[in-house]
Amino acid sequence: MKKILITGLIVGCILFILSYGGLYLGVRYFPGLFVDYDNPLFNSDGSRDILFYLHAFIISFALSWFWARFKTMFKGTLIMRGLEFGVVYAIIALLPVMWISFSSLDITVIMVASWFLYGLAQAIIAGLVFAKINP
Amino acid sequence: MLLNNVCLVLVFLFVTGFNSPTQPERENAPIKWMISQNSSLSVNGSTNVNKFSCVIPAYDRIDTLTVGSKKDHGVTLSGNIGLNISSFDCHNSGMTKQLRKTLNEKQFPLLHIRFLSLNKLPVLTAQPEGITGMVIIEIAGVSKHFEIKYQIDRDNQKTIHLVGSRVIDFSDFNLVPPRKLGGMIKTKDELSVEFHMNMKAI
Repeated sequence: MKKILITGLIVGCILFILSYGGLYLGVRYFPGLFVDYDNPLFNSDGSRDILFYLHAFIISFALSWFWARFKTMFKGTLIMRGLEFGVVYAIIALLPVMWISFSSLDITVIMVASWFLYGLAQAIIAGLVFAKINP
Repeated sequence: MLLNNVCLVLVFLFVTGFNSPTQPERENAPIKWMISQNSSLSVNGSTNVNKFSCVIPAYDRIDTLTVGSKKDHGVTLSGNIGLNISSFDCHNSGMTKQLRKTLNEKQFPLLHIRFLSLNKLPVLTAQPEGITGMVIIEIAGVSKHFEIKYQIDRDNQKTIHLVGSRVIDFSDFNLVPPRKLGGMIKTKDELSVEFHMNMKAI
């Protein structure tokens, strides 16, 4: 349990920097991708900012537990294990959620596709770090 | 002799004194301008990812503005226009919904512009004339006095075009500009408001 929490915390810090740093750079250099977020569908009063920034740690602890539970099933080199872990998470968790989100919310394909790729990248990075520090 | 003098005084008073108050009265008679339905209002703003332009393309009421002179310099301009927040169109359904929400449409469905004064009586020629005036703008239940810059002219069809513009802030009306994704996307506080009123003298 302690190992799960420690690796979760380490990965959470890494994902926090990479995810929000990447998002900041995305907004700065590809602003056109973010125009559709000016919509009441997205929280606009700042009341949930803390929850938004905690996401990196929510996903890291969840993936840390998932890795500890199923890591023996991911075989091969460190890179292969990390990649497979990310793809498995994307297929099992992300794809169905993106599907239901797009079918029920007034959001664009680009938005959903970017969320899918964002989540996939987070899971691959997490998988690589887990394979390194908790093989 | 005395009678002659009295007659002279009466004639003098008639020519000068009695006549003088009536002339300004004619000049001071209020003028009414009827606002036509093809009047419009636009709001331009920006976020850190784009610019937006939202318009109310047509004024759906019949209102009049009354122009009259003041005791001191300047002229009064009285009248009030009420614009439906739901008529805003930002050419993007999400942004339109966002602006209506930001302006608190559910609680305050109307934006009011109350006209108070002009710095001078416009000449009304085909050449646009720059004048200024005071208005009260009421958004989301909060009223603020603003000085507005106008361009006013009258075309061949005797339609008076009054174009007013002013930069206002969301915060002037205790409104919070929207921010998304934990503040990564921010709407700037500043909004440029421009209204174009077409009017006929009645």
